[in-house]
Amino acid sequence: MKNKRTTSVFPFLCRRIGPALVFLQFSVVPAMATQTHGDPEGLVVHQISHLFFMFSMGLLIYWIRSHGLSKNPGWRYIQYAALLFIIWTVDAFFAHQIDEFYEWIRVTRTGPWQIHIETDNPVIAVFYYLTKMDHLWCVPALWFMYLGLRRLNREAQHKIAQTGFQQRPES
Amino acid sequence: MTVTALPIWLVDVIGAMAMIALSGLCLYHVRALSRRDPNNVIWTYLLWVSYCLCGFAISRSAGHILKELLMLGGHAGTWQAIRPYSGSINTFLLFLVASFTLFFERVWQIYHQMSGDQEALTRAHEQVLELNENLEKRVAERTRALARSEKQIAQADKLASIGQLSSGIAHEINNPLGIILGYTQLLSRGEPAGSQKYEDLKIIEKNVKACKAIVEDLLNFARSPNPRQEKININALIEDVLTFIQRRLRQNALTIIKDYDTNAPAMILDGEKIRQVLINLLMNAQHATDNKGTIIIKTTYDVSCRQMRISIKDDGYGIERENLSRIFDPFFTTKSTGEGTGLGLAVSYGIIKSHGGHIDVSSEPGLGTEFILTLPVNPEIQTQPNEDMAGKETG
Repeated sequence: MKNKRTTSVFPFLCRRIGPALVFLQFSVVPAMATQTHGDPEGLVVHQISHLFFMFSMGLLIYWIRSHGLSKNPGWRYIQYAALLFIIWTVDAFFAHQIDEFYEWIRVTRTGPWQIHIETDNPVIAVFYYLTKMDHLWCVPALWFMYLGLRRLNREAQHKIAQTGFQQRPES
Repeated sequence: MTVTALPIWLVDVIGAMAMIALSGLCLYHVRALSRRDPNNVIWTYLLWVSYCLCGFAISRSAGHILKELLMLGGHAGTWQAIRPYSGSINTFLLFLVASFTLFFERVWQIYHQMSGDQEALTRAHEQVLELNENLEKRVAERTRALARSEKQIAQADKLASIGQLSSGIAHEINNPLGIILGYTQLLSRGEPAGSQKYEDLKIIEKNVKACKAIVEDLLNFARSPNPRQEKININALIEDVLTFIQRRLRQNALTIIKDYDTNAPAMILDGEKIRQVLINLLMNAQHATDNKGTIIIKTTYDVSCRQMRISIKDDGYGIERENLSRIFDPFFTTKSTGEGTGLGLAVSYGIIKSHGGHIDVSSEPGLGTEFILTLPVNPEIQTQPNEDMAGKETG
């Protein structure tokens, strides 16, 4: 009975699906095989990464606060770091938008230490100039991260020295 | 608008270097944390976030420094070739940092669950250790308590038997003694005072009365006939007894220290009987100290058990170990003949029992003895004869 079923299915496949596969093989055009990735795609992906990073830092602040961890100085510093990272990512996001996405400005290097910002609106030029110095946000963010981790490390050291037990991240 | 690029350049290059340095320092501290407590998932989480952050900081900063150097060196074309790769790696690492950060909540839950389990395990482990350590101690304690209780039961049984026997004998002897006393008094009336016969009859009368007193004491030990119910302040009663016996005690070299519990409530007792007990114990203490030592009288009210403890402690010569179990036996005495009948403690025992209390004694030969009377506060006084002691009255 089983053998009979097996032998009856195979000819069906050969008769009906085989010709369809042969047809598809000959009718494929190159555009259907892979999608091309043009120039602005990299920028869009990068901007999405900034938005995603901003979202995750926002959530981290929310979790730190909702678990009462912000009472601990170490976690409070990490919370400040997350806040500064959000500000940095907003800065970087707008710098990319103005410069590369909307192309509201055109920047050319006129000398070793000079640049020319070409734009219709001088306010945008000033804004762009300031946003280019985004390290003013991300370096303090990392500084607070460093302070927070150093604090947690010292607390753990202190606790072990006092009690001989491992430290637990308490609120 | 043409502006100087120097501030941007400086912030970019110095900031990039600072980022590399700071991310390295972050990694250093979080690695130390993780090494110290490798089982803590929060530190593991922070370690991975820091790895990603460090990777991002190095990639981005290296790209920025390289860009500035190439642009300054006039190799803009080279930078244009490198730029897509540098940017892609930055984007990838930024995604990675953000993704790892989002694990915080889950890691926190795992951490809490693990630390809860760990605490429960530690508690259970400590309990097991404690039980193991104390097992032998507990067994020894229980064994001692059992031995003590068996000893007390044996003592109570013994005294009950003696009480039953004494009660029977005393009752039987009391009647003939009454008759002898009656006839002696009758005969002495017919004799002229001062005659030999009269004097002989008086000697008989005196000794019969002594016998009757002993019999009375035996009956007191065996059964407490209708103790009265009076409201007594125990501290006042002790003071009263002390005043009474002061005349008898030669107190020149004897020190009496009183330590009364001022919160002692009034108790329902037979004052006369308790007075008799206190006199017995104080006279014994005075005898043991040979009038030269210290007697400490202390009352303590135990609120939780509603019990009054009266301790009478002396620093006399104490009681030998082999005698300790016999001191409440009727007629047992270590005093020389004529000094004591051996009924004082037996009678005291009977009185305290009839009040629903008990007497405990501890003694170290050469150091002293302590008697502790424990009496329930406001109990229903047993108005019936102490059946444990007297058993069934005969005759």
